[in-house]
Amino acid sequence: MTHQPSTTLKRRPSRRVCTPPNLILALFVAAAVAAPVLAPQNPYDPLQIFGWEASSPPGTIGSGGYHYLLGTDGLGRDIASCILYGLRISLMVSIVSALAAAAIGLTVGVTAAYFGKWVDAIIMRVVDLQLSLPTMLVALIAIVTLGPGVDRIILALIIVQWATYARVVRSVALSEAGKPYIDAARTMPLSNARIVLRHLLPNSIAPAITLLPIEIGHAVALEATLSFLGLGVPMDQPSLGSTVANGFQYLLTGQYWISLFPGFALFGLIAAINFAGEDIRRIWDPRNRSI
Amino acid sequence: MALLTTITGRLSQAFLLLLVMSLIGFIGIHSVGNPVYNVVNIETATPEDIRRATELLGLDQPLWRQYVVFVQNLATGSFGTSYIYHLPAFDLVLSKLPATLELAVGAIVIATIAGTGLGLLAVTRPGTLIDRIVVTATVFALSVPSFWLSMMLILAGAVMTGWFPPGGRGSTVEVLGGDWSFLTADGLKHLVLPTLALAIPNVALIARLARAGTVEVKKTDFVRFCIAKGLSGRRILFRHALPNISLPIITIVGLQFGGMLAFAVVVETIFAWPGVGKLLIDSIQLLDRPVVMATLTFISIAFVALNALVDLLYAVLDPRVRISA
Repeated sequence: MTHQPSTTLKRRPSRRVCTPPNLILALFVAAAVAAPVLAPQNPYDPLQIFGWEASSPPGTIGSGGYHYLLGTDGLGRDIASCILYGLRISLMVSIVSALAAAAIGLTVGVTAAYFGKWVDAIIMRVVDLQLSLPTMLVALIAIVTLGPGVDRIILALIIVQWATYARVVRSVALSEAGKPYIDAARTMPLSNARIVLRHLLPNSIAPAITLLPIEIGHAVALEATLSFLGLGVPMDQPSLGSTVANGFQYLLTGQYWISLFPGFALFGLIAAINFAGEDIRRIWDPRNRSI
Repeated sequence: MALLTTITGRLSQAFLLLLVMSLIGFIGIHSVGNPVYNVVNIETATPEDIRRATELLGLDQPLWRQYVVFVQNLATGSFGTSYIYHLPAFDLVLSKLPATLELAVGAIVIATIAGTGLGLLAVTRPGTLIDRIVVTATVFALSVPSFWLSMMLILAGAVMTGWFPPGGRGSTVEVLGGDWSFLTADGLKHLVLPTLALAIPNVALIARLARAGTVEVKKTDFVRFCIAKGLSGRRILFRHALPNISLPIITIVGLQFGGMLAFAVVVETIFAWPGVGKLLIDSIQLLDRPVVMATLTFISIAFVALNALVDLLYAVLDPRVRISA
């Protein structure tokens, strides 16, 4: 293959980085990273929590000498601090699980496409089997089997997500595997593993990258939902979902702040991820690339 | 003939699915804890009581034998008896079905009509404020976690205004062997908030789909021919564009309806709506294995059946589609 200098200028889609959703997303990530510095209270430390100040409305001055900007929950934990620490768990869980699921899905999808025949048949049968169920159901089955806990929920989210990556990556890898450079690689004394991982995988990675932000958004929502149902992150660890769940019983008596503010944080986080994901999709989707 | 292979293919897939799922569910519930402690009264039970209850439920057998018994019972059409309610597990699921069904049907009807309407509204005014609002609002609507959406609906519709009750089913009427809420005024009032909670994300999804689909169809030659022929914009939209975007919409409606049966878990829990989803969560927490297995099986079968139905519907709606196994 010879490289011909392109005669026409390629019009690239806009790659503005400082869009409002991206900035908001960056703010969320920064807040999560800096939580121990920003939060007036460490909600994990019982010594910093004043139980008698439970369910204080927003703006109350607490015994710790600082304002409860967003009020306290039923255990006396500062909601603002819970949100900051909860962001850490939500982001950590969803990013780790999405990356791991992408890595597994990529490898599996590429392997299926490269070897074909029965390897492909078996792998894709498993993938189809899983994708034929609603994600919520798969998540429920996984979390029931694994039990509660932060590490378990990461595992459950990986189980939920890997198949999607495998499916989209395989379809791209299938057409890549038929191209001359793979034939060329096969004629060289290279191991199958090397061809798959060093030649085929990098060229089939695009759909996985477009999928990644969408799946991170899904993972945040799914983690929060499972925690809300009491099946995910334990109640005493302030993830965004469990904090909202803590406030549910107080909602009906008018103590709205316990659920409202963490919910807004969660909603804002997912919306920012989704908007940023749309941008990434626009840039990476080959169909949107005008030549 | 092709139809027959499709159906057998689907059936074998469904069968495999159920086999795998029942195994995982069995091992899962076994590893989480012992259901006996939810069956006996933990404060008054003597070790003798616990031993007898364990034997009675067959939990003293090794797990593989429990599974064999489960499969044998299944072959006779029985999922076993609920540990907690002492009723046949599948009957219990069926008795909760009308509640979930009226929620899901209501939500899908709202979502289809409002979603298609919004999508078409946006597409007839491309680039205007309405279009941009629809596009942006749908991303927001798809980002709301359903449990928080439900809670905000309770806050706005029940706590602050008092228009609708915050939970429960209200009064029901028995028709065709099931209890239905939508036939009474009180029940209808109870239905509004949970139905909206299920419908809103789907309105957004369908609106996006309808908009994107119509944008594509508008570029095709036959629409340009219709314009050249002098047909009105409305006629082109409804008689020529709409049938062409109906396929993806029907796919999503079918898939989402199945998904709703699963996602109703969340909404039903929050609104204390006594449906299949709430039964599943309660049974998981009580380790009521027969009911968990019956519910999971039911939702999976419904989901697979709906998928198959959508595929068959394709062939009816679009003669170009050939069904393959």
